[in-house]
Amino acid sequence: MILGIETSCDETAAAVITPDGRILSNVVSSQADLHARYGGVVPEVASRRHLELVTPVVQEALRDSGTTLDDVDLVGVTAGPGLIGALLVGVAAAKAIAWARRLPLAAVDHLQGHVASLYLEPDPVEPPFLCLLASGGHTMLLDVQERNGKPRVLGATLDDAAGEAFDKGARLLGFGYPGGAELDHVARNGDPSAYAFPVARVPGLDFSFSGLKTALLYAVRKLTAEEGERRRADLAASYQRAIVRALVERTRQAAEQIGATRIAVVGGVAANSELRAALAEARAAPLALCTDNAAMIASAARFSNPIHYPGYLGLDAYASTA
Amino acid sequence: MLILAFDTATDVATSALVSDGEVLGERRSRAVTVLEDIDALLRQAGAHTRELEGIAVGIGPGSFTGVRIGLATARGLALALGVPVAGVSTLDALAAGALGALPVVDARRGEVFVLEDEPRVLAPAELRPSPGTLCVGSGAVRYRSVLEAAGAEIPADQDERHVPRARFHAQLARDFGPAEAVEPMYLRVPDADKTRK
Repeated sequence: MILGIETSCDETAAAVITPDGRILSNVVSSQADLHARYGGVVPEVASRRHLELVTPVVQEALRDSGTTLDDVDLVGVTAGPGLIGALLVGVAAAKAIAWARRLPLAAVDHLQGHVASLYLEPDPVEPPFLCLLASGGHTMLLDVQERNGKPRVLGATLDDAAGEAFDKGARLLGFGYPGGAELDHVARNGDPSAYAFPVARVPGLDFSFSGLKTALLYAVRKLTAEEGERRRADLAASYQRAIVRALVERTRQAAEQIGATRIAVVGGVAANSELRAALAEARAAPLALCTDNAAMIASAARFSNPIHYPGYLGLDAYASTA
Repeated sequence: MLILAFDTATDVATSALVSDGEVLGERRSRAVTVLEDIDALLRQAGAHTRELEGIAVGIGPGSFTGVRIGLATARGLALALGVPVAGVSTLDALAAGALGALPVVDARRGEVFVLEDEPRVLAPAELRPSPGTLCVGSGAVRYRSVLEAAGAEIPADQDERHVPRARFHAQLARDFGPAEAVEPMYLRVPDADKTRK
């Protein structure tokens, strides 16, 4: 069995999968409520919470899977990118567990973890494919040729991530934090053509969402509180349409450029209903595996070159890939 | 009782393997590599992880990230080995290594953690040691001039009494129990909570 541990942002997660990629347990303890009062993730608050939760979550994952550590052959942990203080909690716990049992340890890249959410049973996706990774922290187009190894980055956001654009827009519209999912829900009752929000056209296959957020801010400012309330669904629908259109256009453009026949979508934004509908030809990660989780980390560990004892004892976390 | 002790709360991570009060080995490095030391301690003593009977871990105060690395390591070990854990204040361990001394740990941002009647965080100038008080720890080294001007005595920078030594954590450890019951000693709320209040 493979034990996965993920603590890169504000979800403390652990999962157990089989060597052939079946999920036996997938425990995610979200801190979203904790961070809502700050309107965003506070790194020190997140790190403190990870320490409280990391071992109970691992124990729960083992219990839910009906296995014990005796059944585990490999530990996979997110080593980066993410909040460094948060990552270090998971890495320290994973190293200690692996060392105590003399197990190999896979240092998993969080982004490759998202891609690996597609390799889990019951319906795994076989490379090659073009992958749109869109989450609260990242937005990129990846040329995935094989299950192991780093995919080539074809394009990435120059400013805000798509999920960040959703959450910031949701905030401007008065939804709670994180508001992306609520915005998606309210947008279903709105007119997506009510407002023409600009989609930034940057060269190549990159994305830019910061201008869109500003356009929404100006649109909201022009309205009285009462009008804003009345037109909230239209604003949400139009704003969502602009983000989704940018993602879809770029993805199709990239697919054409590299001659990809298959497209896949992963990350928290892959849970967005309009994106899933607009990219109907694409394979989207299962809803439960879109937001951060440890099953995807265990899945990535399955296709990685694990570090054997004692090579990982000094393993460090990294905040960014660059 | 075979006790593995370590503390990663300060810049110098310390670890020791202690059997019924006898120090089998003691090492120092950094928080991120503390498991390398732990591994070396057991190998040198010819001990197996299964033989460990207790873990004594430093709970701070010190670097928040350092404290968490130590506690996450202790909790991971406890989960995998089924051994009980005891928490020991980093200040208490420093005090045990320099009898009669006042432990002063660098808390960054111009402040220090001290053990007066209880652990506190304050500016070095607020600390008023009675003349001749021996001050030890990273904070004593960093704020030597301020503290010496106030009448404190501070050993040379390289003196080993300035760093926590895990043999004292093993010595002070009491009440071994579930790892999750051993909590970090931060002494500061996150900045985000300060601005909210």
